[in-house]
This record gives sequence, C-alpha cells and structure tokens, in this order.
Amino acid sequence: MTIDLSLFRRRFLETSTLSLAPIALQTLLDGNTMAADSPAVMPHAAPKAKSVIFLFMIGGPSQIDLFEDKPELNRRDGEPLPESILKELQFAQIQKDDPKNLMGCPWRFGRHGNSGAVISELLPHTASIADRISFVKTMRTDDSNHMFAELLINTGWRQFGRPSLGSWVSYGLGSETADLPSFLVLRSGMRPRSKGANYGNGFLPGQFQGTALRDSGPPILNLESPPGFDRERQRESIDLIKELNKIRYQQTGDSETATRIRAYETAFRMQTSARELLDLDGETKSTLNEYGVGDTSQSSFARNCLLARRMVERGVRFVQVFHGDWDHHSGIRTGLPGQCRTVDQASAALVRDLARRGLLDDTLVVWGGELGRTPIAQVNTKMKNVPVGRDHQIEAWTMWFAGGGVKAGHTIGETNDLGCLPVGDSWHVHDLQATILHLLGLDHKKLTYRYQGRDFRLTDVHGRVIEELLA
Amino acid sequence: MIHSVMIIPVNCEVGLDPFRLLLIGLCVSSCAAAANAGDAPAIALLKAKCFGCHGAAKQEGGLRLDVRGHVLAGGDSGPAVVPGNADSSQLLRRVLSSDDDRMPPEGTRLTQEEVWLLRRWIDSGAGGLPEHDLNTKWRTHWSFQKISMPVPPVIEDSQRVRNSVDAFVIHELQKAGITPSPPADRATLIRRLSLDVTGLLPEPKRVQQFVSDKRPDAWEQLIDEYLASPHYGERWARHWMDVARYADSTGYEADQPRTIWAWRDWVINSFNQGMPFDQFVIEQIAGDLLPEASKEQIIATGFHCNSIFDGGVRWQAVVDRVNTTAAAFLGLTTECARCHTHKTDPVSHREFYELFAFFNDASATSFSLGETGYLDQVPKPDESGRMPPVTLAMKATPQPTHVFGRGDPAQLGIHVSPNVPGFLPQLRIAGDRRASRLDLARWLMKDDHPLTARVTVNRVWQRYFGAGLVETSDDFGMQTPRPKHAALLDWLAARFMQEGWDVKKLHKHILLSATYRQSSNDRRELASADPGNRLLARQVRIRLPAEIIRDVFLDAGGLLSRKIGGPGVYPWQPEGILVNRATPATWKKSEGEDAYRRGLYTWTWRLTPHPHMPLFDAPDGITACTKRSRSNVPVQALTLLNDPVFVEAAQGLGRRVLRGPTGLSAVGSSDPERLKRLFQITLARDPQPREEQLLLDVLERQRKSFHGQPAAAREVCGDAEADRGQLSQLAAWTVLARSVLNLDEFYTRE
Repeated sequence: MTIDLSLFRRRFLETSTLSLAPIALQTLLDGNTMAADSPAVMPHAAPKAKSVIFLFMIGGPSQIDLFEDKPELNRRDGEPLPESILKELQFAQIQKDDPKNLMGCPWRFGRHGNSGAVISELLPHTASIADRISFVKTMRTDDSNHMFAELLINTGWRQFGRPSLGSWVSYGLGSETADLPSFLVLRSGMRPRSKGANYGNGFLPGQFQGTALRDSGPPILNLESPPGFDRERQRESIDLIKELNKIRYQQTGDSETATRIRAYETAFRMQTSARELLDLDGETKSTLNEYGVGDTSQSSFARNCLLARRMVERGVRFVQVFHGDWDHHSGIRTGLPGQCRTVDQASAALVRDLARRGLLDDTLVVWGGELGRTPIAQVNTKMKNVPVGRDHQIEAWTMWFAGGGVKAGHTIGETNDLGCLPVGDSWHVHDLQATILHLLGLDHKKLTYRYQGRDFRLTDVHGRVIEELLA
Repeated sequence: MIHSVMIIPVNCEVGLDPFRLLLIGLCVSSCAAAANAGDAPAIALLKAKCFGCHGAAKQEGGLRLDVRGHVLAGGDSGPAVVPGNADSSQLLRRVLSSDDDRMPPEGTRLTQEEVWLLRRWIDSGAGGLPEHDLNTKWRTHWSFQKISMPVPPVIEDSQRVRNSVDAFVIHELQKAGITPSPPADRATLIRRLSLDVTGLLPEPKRVQQFVSDKRPDAWEQLIDEYLASPHYGERWARHWMDVARYADSTGYEADQPRTIWAWRDWVINSFNQGMPFDQFVIEQIAGDLLPEASKEQIIATGFHCNSIFDGGVRWQAVVDRVNTTAAAFLGLTTECARCHTHKTDPVSHREFYELFAFFNDASATSFSLGETGYLDQVPKPDESGRMPPVTLAMKATPQPTHVFGRGDPAQLGIHVSPNVPGFLPQLRIAGDRRASRLDLARWLMKDDHPLTARVTVNRVWQRYFGAGLVETSDDFGMQTPRPKHAALLDWLAARFMQEGWDVKKLHKHILLSATYRQSSNDRRELASADPGNRLLARQVRIRLPAEIIRDVFLDAGGLLSRKIGGPGVYPWQPEGILVNRATPATWKKSEGEDAYRRGLYTWTWRLTPHPHMPLFDAPDGITACTKRSRSNVPVQALTLLNDPVFVEAAQGLGRRVLRGPTGLSAVGSSDPERLKRLFQITLARDPQPREEQLLLDVLERQRKSFHGQPAAAREVCGDAEADRGQLSQLAAWTVLARSVLNLDEFYTRE
C-alpha cells in the first residue's frame, strides 16, 4: 500500500473543516486521482493486517455450550447458582423470583489440535482449524440489551449516532481498491437489532459508511448499464454527472454531495468489479463444497463467507458478515445445533481458504457476538420448569480470532468453574476495538475525529490492546 | 409470583382495583401531611432493612419503599401498603411470612417489636415518607413539565424576523454571536416548498410566476396554494405511515397479505381536509368507541391494526401498540419496561402492562367497507380472485391483563387494569368503570399533557429541517437533554393546542418564517460554532425519501399518475425479489396508469419490499419509525443510473424536452433553449454558463456518436417507433436527461 501525503492532506482538509478553498476542492473531488479511498491518518505503526473479516454472530452464541468445558457445571446441573456469584451478575430476562439453577452442557467437548483447544462437538469444522485460531474466553461488555450491546461492540457507544468500527477503519486507512466500497456488509438470517447503525458512518464523512448487500435475491441490483449505453457512453454520462455535481458542491458546500460524487465513481467501477466479485462460476467445485455453498444463486451464510474472501482478495478493507439469531433463551437444544450447522463449516472454510491463498497473514478474522450466555437455565414455567435456554451474560464470553497478527492455537482468559465470571483478566469490547485497530497499524488513541468541538474516538476514553493475543 | 397473586383477593374484597387504590392513597396522603410520632422509627426500620433492595438504587420486584407514591403503587406483586389497614398490606404479610416469599429474604427475621412498629405505621396512614422521589431527576425533566406559552423575545434587528418562530431562533443565534443565513432565492424556495409539502416538482410555469411575483404576500399565497393541493395529503400521509408502521402484509415468517389501504386513504383525506390533530388521533386510537361511530371513524382505527401480526403471538402486536403509542405521542421508548422497570425513564414494569391493558381490550378485526360492519371471519377472495371491500379496524374485546414476568407471557403476574404512567397527568374517570382506549386517546390530547403536542410539533419541524428541535424524535425521556430551542418548541406546541390542533396553521407558522426560508448552503464558520446546525443558522439540504425519489423521476419524465388512493399497486420490480419466502407471494405487475402511481401506493410485503424502498432507507414497517436515516452509498447510484424505471423516466424527460408542451413561455427549439427547459422541469432554474457548456458539449458528442449507431439510439430513447430523422437527437437528449436526473441536486431538496 502506498501512501500519498497529498492525499492525506486533502482528506485532512475535507474532514477538519469543510474547506471550500478551490485548491482543496480540486484535489478532493478529482475523480481520476480518486484511486483508492485515501487514508485520513495513515497507519501509526507497521500494520500486521490489511483487512478484516468480522463474522458477527447476532444474539450471543452460547459460549458455555461451544467453548467452555466445565465439569463442575455439569456435576451441579439443576443446583441453584450460589448467592455469592449471583450478586455479581446482571441478567436480561431472569428476574429475582425466577429459579436460578445451573444447566450443564448437553453436548460433549473435545480437545483439538496441538493446542488442545476446547471445542464442542457442535462445531466439528471449527475444531479442525483449532491450531489456526486463538480464543479469548473472557470478553465482556456493559449492556445486557442486545440493541445497545450491538452498538457498543460495533460503534463503541451504547447509543445511536456514532461511527461504526468498519467506518473508522475505512476513515483511518482508506481502501486498497477504488473498484469496490472499502467497507462491505453481508447479512444472513435475522438482521442485527440496531440495523444500519451497526455499519453507519455516524459523524464521519458519508463515504466511510458500510455498503450492505441485499440478503435475498441478487446481492447487488442494476450492475448492467441500460440498453444502448456502452461503457464509453456510461463513462461520459457519469463524468458529466460528476462535473455538474462538483459545480453544485462548490456552491453549497454540502459534504453529502462530495460523498455522492465518490459513490457514482465507485458505482461505475462496480459495474465491472462487483459483477466479477459476485460471479462464483470461477470457484471450483471443491471450494464451493468446502464452504458448503449449495445453490450459488441463493443468499446464505456460506455464500457470504466465500464472498468475504473474494472481497478481501480484491482489496476491500473491512467486511462484516452478520448472521442471526443466536439468542437462545429457549429452544436451545435444537436451535443451537441448527445455528452451528449453518455457520460452522463456512467459518472454518474461510480461515482455511484464506490460509491456502496466502491471505490469512494479511487478514484478521474475528468470530463472535455482542454478548454471551449464562450457565443458569431459563425454564419453561408451563412445563415443570424444564430448562429451555440461557440468558445473556455480559461478564465473560468467548470470541475467536485468526490471521493477521494474532497468535495461532492460543487461548487467553479463564472463567470460573461454572463459566460465569472471569478468573483473572477479562477484556472489554473496547479492548477488542483497540486490538483490531492496532493490528491494522492504527493507534486507537490517535484515531480521532473532531466533531461538535471535541475529538471522538472509537474507544471513547477506554480500550487497551489485548497484548496477550498478539503474535 | 404465585404468592403475589394470592394477595390480590384482599384488594378485590374491598372492591378496589389498584388504580383506584392509588387515587385513594394519594388522597389519604395529602390529608395526612402531618407525620405521626410513630412514622420516624418505622421509616428508620425500613431504611435499615428494606431500602437496600427497594430503594433509589435498586428496585427488586419493581418495588420502592422510600417514596410514598411507589409504596402505594407497589411493585410487580402489587401495592405494598394499604394505608390504614395493616392487615390488608402485603408489606406486613411478607415480613410475617415463613414461606419463600418472606422479607427480608435473608438474615434474621424482624422482631415482634419491629413488626409492631410497621403495623402501627401502616394503621396510622403510612405517613412520613417523601411523596415523590426527590432524588430522581424526572420530577424536573424538561419535557415532563406542563407546556406554557413562552413570550417571543424582542429582537432589535427586526429585519430578519418574519414571525415569532424567527424571534426565538434569532434570539439564540444572537446569544451565540451567529448571524442567520440569507434567504434562498425564489426558485430554490418554490422547489423546496413544493417538495416538502407535496413531494412533487413545482410546475415550471408556476416557478416563473412566483419568481416574478411582486405581491408582498406572494410567499404566503404560494404556501396556501400548496397546502390546498390534494398531494399535500399524500406527502404527509407517508410520514404518518412511517410512524404507523404501515405495510400491506402481516410480517413474521408467514407475511400474509393484508387489506388496510382504506386506512391509508383515510389519513390522506384527513390531512387534505384539515382535520384537527386531536380528532385525527382520537379517531385512530378509539374511533370505534366514539358515540355513534361513523364508518370513517372505524376505518381510522386501522392505525393500530398495522402492527405485525401472528395469531400465535397476538400479545406481541399488543406490545407493539404500546410501543408505537409511546413513540408516536409520548416520545418515550417503553420497550424496556416490557421486561423490567425502565432503567432511565419513570415507567415501571407494571405501568407498561397498564398501558398494555388498553390495547389488550381490543382486536384488529375485518370490517366491511360496505354495509355489513365488522365481519366474523377474514373474508376470502371471490371466484375472480377479487377481495371484497374490507379493511382492518379495532373492535373492543375486553379481557383481563396480567403483568408478564420478565416480559414472558407464560409467566402471568398480578392482574392490572388500564391506566397511564403515574408521572404523567392522571387519567380521570367518572365512576368506577374500566378505562378505555377512548379515555386514553382523550387523555393524550388533553391540554395539560406535557408530551403529545411537543412530540408532534417536533416531528413536523423535523420534516422541514431534516432534524427535529429535539433530534431524538421518538425519545423525549430522561436521556434527552433540553434542546437549545426549547422555548420555540414550547411556543409551537402551545400555539398548536391554542389554535385547536390546526395542522395547516402549524405548517404555516414554520413555512412563513425566515428561518425556513434561509439558504441551505453550508457555512464554513459554523463548522466549529454550531456543527450540528442545532441553532438553525441555515436550512439544510435533504436527500429525498425513497418514494419521493421515484415520484420526482416519474414526474419529470411526464409519466407520473396523479391518481389518489385505492388498493396498493405493483410497479415493475426485478426478478428474484420474492424468493426465500416461507410463504409464496405474488407480484402481478400493474398495467397502465397503475404502473406509475406515487410510491406510497406501492404494495409493501414486509419481508420482501420493493427493492427501491430499503435501498433508500424506507422503514421496514416492523416497529414505529419516527425518523428515517439517509444513507449515501454506491448501490444507490447504480439503481438511479441503471434501473429500468429510472431509465424510462429519463426517456420520458428526453421526449418532453424535445417535443412536449411545458407551458413555459419564451422557450424555443434551439439547443440552449431546450436545455433551459430540461433545467426548469427538473431543477426549477436555468443552467449556469459553465453547466450549459458542459452539457452542450456532451450533447454534441452524443448526437454524433448516435448518428452511426441507430440501434443503440433506439435502445437509449426506448422508442422503437421514433422518427429516423429525430433518432440521434432524441437519444442524445435522453442521455442528457438521465444525467440531470442523476444529479445530487435533482433528488435533494435544497
């Protein structure tokens, strides 16, 4: 990646004040030099990763059933959680008068790879890449409400209105390609509860917002020019639009117009690049099988994982793959295995495929949701209090990482015998954000944007890099 | 929980529902203002033993014992204390209990003497506690205060002040040392007004008239003209449909079709007829309960039939009706209180279910638009596939309501009756009848209600300035600080009520102001002084909403149907939109005029909406939406450039520029004159020299290139019959038309 200081300067001019000075404007809007989206701050340090794929598991997968082998929990199945622990926990749904009995894990665990990683039988494919991935077992967050926990992990703040992780990264580093948006969003299953705010630009310039592909039918519509518009005619039309928009921008100074100018240029390039990106005909049968992509015309988590690899291959900076819903308050015995079947194979295939293509060294893969789940059961009061699911746990849950600059086959963080509280270190979602930025060469304390008279950061006034995770 | 239900018969025995108990309690408390000698030691005991779990910091079981109002209202298990009757008070029973529900739950039991202290305290009226929570800020939260009519400040430099709205705005600007922006030019103003009020482009002829209109009241005349347009009702109905989460299907996986367009048409007509807003709300919430309710009043109740619905989880629709009512009128997010007492706003878990009870007493029912009235069953299509004329309307179906433990309908808690949250003005009901939706609706519109008018004028303001005076237009709760223009908000709200909730008058107060008429150009110096434009030193440019973008494309292309109302239509959409559905859906493409109707008439399958809608941030219709986001991404450009509908609009515009009558005088047939026509139709202005040069250069090159490509020319202009001599001319103008339609300025209201 080359860094052009003039690009840095122009972005600086654009973002610090809305400069209408002709020189700045000219550089800002010059579509032909608008090669890759240019960085605002450039890396603060040598980057370990160039791009990120965040496999976001909406609703909070049950780490207790997937990554935490707790014999003591199984032994005490059905017994009440000790009061001493209870008072340290916050629940979402379980109320004071509800039974708070432990529920052992109904599934078996194995130890996998040289590292002996603890992985449930529900995730056999993940188990097969155990030595490529590292676990943090004690992630934590502040809010037990999905909507706000989503916002906190994806935007660093529990309310709407802040820029998302992907948009901060795009703002900080720009893109490696001008042919596609620098931040792309794929979705399958239930959509995130905070919707577009999870990939919005907040107060950052509009060009840094995530572009979401459709989650049913064709992922991107209208990639073909209309009949009679060959490439040249389309180019001339878009150039005309650009020039006229530039004149308007000079007069109104509305940054949305600048965003629009870029959007039209990217759109033009996407007519070639996105078609090529989305065309899976070139993928071998064995690759499709490895991910578990059946019908390539159907939207699925598996197809999204494959598309995510194709995106980073083509220089997309940040890909967030949302999949829901893991919110198993009830029906966990069938629901959890079902989600695992949907997600396990493709998640593992993605890591393996990236490695095979030499992309894993430059690509950070993150897997996890906005919160975790309790070792305490939620029960069906109509059916003799039979345990049916698990509530939210915000004090400790598991995420895994692979590739770009993180250790492989390593586990950090430990929870108590019952899997509900950290023993020793735990890491806040702000630490996750700081770490992702760090791996990309960005210092979370220096990646700031001035808005309403103050410098904002993704990590607010918090965050520390998870040093133990770094390779 | 089970024990808490057991205590209820005690209340029933004395024939009091909790609501009335509360009233009596408040009465007793005000009578017994003087504390008894025994109060202090009893309260000291409560403090030592109970406040830890039932105090300001923590309210186990939703109960607070440190504030009299809360003691009487009680928690999840019902009222804690019946003043004057210790034996009927749960508090006493629980401290004496030897079951699991004993209090305190751990540690030593209360001594006999301590129990006696409590008994004496309750029997003597349970006095001595603060009536209200003095430690919580909600007592003084700005939006919970009664609305008074502020006096508009006197502004020295009165040149900038057109009306009272400006006085408030300029007063704040002056304090910040900021000058307002100059007015926008007249062409911008008429386009702004036309788009804001009707969602359509201004007629080129009308633009010319207005630009040269020398009358001093030319602007007011124009406002009146647009507010009288039947398309005003369409534009503002669509805003209301967002709040009402309108769609033509039920949502959930099944996503069955639903017939409720008659409600949408009722909204359009109500806006057009200038129905006072209080009537507008009362009829939508409880039109069916009005004395001798008319058919129209019953149709109005479709408002709350718009909830997503699945018979297996009817309660979720009722929850949605509570949340929508709160977002739309109270500016409160009540969803938290469904599972537990709200952590920031003064709405308890129990109070949520008291609101719930209003809507639990009603069901969305099929209602014949003919003579039959309510129907017992959902009607089936006739042999030709046509649905009989029906809509969905609310029908009273009273039934008991219980608190759902942690929001779970399987965990029935105490029985509650319909009531409003205690921090708001009381619901006064004569006699002991059960409160109804009609009581709720009338209560919302009472002139001492602090929220409804504020929330409503704020949302109207938001439509005209891109953001409300309160930015979080669905949350006026504790998380939302007093806005900078709070006085203006109150003035508008007070005036709105004083003028009989006259919506068009409210529009006029805003539209007549110099504040509305300001230029929307960005001002560099404001980036640091007022970055969010909270002080309103300028107008803002607003990208048009999803439906309106298509409307103005079709309008410019001369294709738009202006037909108002009727069943939803099915304009062209790409293949593959209706795939991945659990239940199949159809999209029989509309023919003729119906293919070009305004966007608000496009049939909406909640699960698989027309792709233009989510692409340009139309709401998903799952919950109430008071404010749309405005994203700006490349896939939008792809659609506006390449989608057949938008291309067809460009083709229509190309023809219109070349041939069509525009009503413009002094426009001839030279290229510059045609270009002027193109600009007048789309942007309501003439091209600037630099623009003209760019466009005419492209025109010339395109004409030349089409000369050698007749097939491409035919494809571009979309007219197989086009006269061969005209072909490259028409195609080249189509290219230009398409580019102008794709300008940021075209689909932005400036």
